[in-house]
Amino acid sequence: MNRRQFLDVTATSALVAGLPSAGRVTNATAGLDLRALAQPDLLSILGPETVREIGLRYRELVPSENQMQALHAAVLAARPWSSRVPWLPRPSIGEMVAADFAAGRTIVVQGWVLSAIEARQSALFSLLSD
Amino acid sequence: MHIDARTLPNGSVLEADLCIVGAGAAGISMALEWIGSPRKVLLLEGGGLEYEPAMQDLYRGEIVGLPYYPLQAARLHYFGGTTGHWAGFCSTLDPIDFEQREWVPHSGWPVRREELDPFYARAQPLLELGPYEYAAGDWQRRDTTLVPLPLDPRVMWTKMWQFSPPTRFGARYRDAVIGARNVYLYTHANVCELEANESLTRVDGLRVRTLDGKEHRARARYYVLACCSVQNARLLLASNRRAPAGLGNAHDLVGRFFMEHIEMPGGHLVLTASNAVNTKMYALEFGQTKARGELALSAAVQRERRILNGTVSLEPGAPGEVAKSTFQWGTPELLAAFRKWEASGRVGPPPGGLPEPPPAGSARFFHLVTRQEQAPNPDSRVMLSTARDALDMPRAKLDWRLTELERRSFRVFYEVMGRELGRSGVGRVQILDWVRRDEGTWPSTLSGGWHHMGTTRMHDNPRFGVVDANCRVHRVDNLFVAGASVYPTGGAANPTLTLVALSLRLSDHLKRTLA
Repeated sequence: MNRRQFLDVTATSALVAGLPSAGRVTNATAGLDLRALAQPDLLSILGPETVREIGLRYRELVPSENQMQALHAAVLAARPWSSRVPWLPRPSIGEMVAADFAAGRTIVVQGWVLSAIEARQSALFSLLSD
Repeated sequence: MHIDARTLPNGSVLEADLCIVGAGAAGISMALEWIGSPRKVLLLEGGGLEYEPAMQDLYRGEIVGLPYYPLQAARLHYFGGTTGHWAGFCSTLDPIDFEQREWVPHSGWPVRREELDPFYARAQPLLELGPYEYAAGDWQRRDTTLVPLPLDPRVMWTKMWQFSPPTRFGARYRDAVIGARNVYLYTHANVCELEANESLTRVDGLRVRTLDGKEHRARARYYVLACCSVQNARLLLASNRRAPAGLGNAHDLVGRFFMEHIEMPGGHLVLTASNAVNTKMYALEFGQTKARGELALSAAVQRERRILNGTVSLEPGAPGEVAKSTFQWGTPELLAAFRKWEASGRVGPPPGGLPEPPPAGSARFFHLVTRQEQAPNPDSRVMLSTARDALDMPRAKLDWRLTELERRSFRVFYEVMGRELGRSGVGRVQILDWVRRDEGTWPSTLSGGWHHMGTTRMHDNPRFGVVDANCRVHRVDNLFVAGASVYPTGGAANPTLTLVALSLRLSDHLKRTLA
């Protein structure tokens, strides 16, 4: 593993550690369709080939999320607490991406500065297109 | 009045109230200020009125340390100086550039930005620029289609640039200078030594040589060195007959703190497809665009992250295309071809051809090209070489060095910019691989911008600066320096506008002194 890979992994591990545990995901947080999640807005920005490469790289960097369930759970777990309250409006993925950037929850994958959710969405996309 | 120094009898003595050495942007800006005054002014130019290879060869020098551009190609040695091939980019230094920043060793000017404002305003017409307005909002009011990106001003802002035609000082001001009754322009008059009095407190005269073997003296009440950063240092260091370390160099500062702007691509921006992001404000069409914006980090972010100043321009491109650094595209051969093309009245297409502009509004992919400040560094310096030029003057030796701070600042800029452009919905940034490494090394494409600064830096204390706040060489009563060599720090703006402003300020000071 070269130094850059190490840094990427370190950054990712710290990021993942800072997020709510995927194990605490319950039915109350479910609702985001897996296939919809796997179609990130990034596709229209960067194109499917680049998004797939980003996804593959993310899965290499974070092997613990190298499967659909774990990725799905991680995305759901990243939703703000308010989304678990049934009568409050749930944020869209776009809003969650914007919130990631605003809060500095970003990760550099293949050189791209992405929101944490975008990176996971890209990983889901790559898994579904494998 | 114009006199070719080669036509004078050997041993001639030229006398005046003020003697300006060097007829580039700084020297000519000053000389213009004195036209019609009761003072007699000598303007000594080493080259002729046009480019001559033999004169240009006097600028050849030695490069040690980091790789650098050939010195004889980076600067022009004839009337008008380097404005003979400059690109015309102008912007002001930012207020933070003048501050003493505790994370930037040797930073801080003895002059505040507000003190320079009136001189910036006076410099604008000399460089044939627009009004003295450098806020994005000013330009948006003039043209409502120019819209700054929706950036959080606490993080990033749009720094505006204006574009000179570019003014070729030699062509533009030749008639005014030559037609002036009290300004005596001597060409082919190379100053080889500043002759100081015994106590090194005054300059008594200048030794002037021509390539055909003549030697003259120039005498004046006040002298201004306005050659360029490399030449100003070289001349002071070579004036070592009475002062072994060179004139004005009691504290071993002359030639040190050589600075450049690091000009290299560092990443890409892809605009979001869903947003109709208007990037017209950031577009540049050479010869057409009057002003454009570049992306800059706020002073608050610079303080918080303890980084240097910098800007990034948006250059339309295509995925997979590799953008070139300034030194890569601007080869000495290309610059020479441009100079010839301009001298011939711009007949035919420009050398290298014009870049194909993308269809209006369609560009979604941009190369991000950095122009970054270099931290003042005493080990980055101009020295004298053991080699000598055709006038028997020691050639310059450049040891350009960078520190970890430049490298880290470059990386942090892209990280912060990537987040902010993502947050604002503008697009996504890809950082080049070498930028993300934090190993302190630079790629082989390392490039400056032909901006030489800092070799006779300004400081109130002679232990820390060569000149004082009035650009007078410490402890030498009648010797002043004009040009970017006096900059204690270089900010992220190209140096010409500021050096012209400082020259006007120096001119005012000398007028008061001579009155």
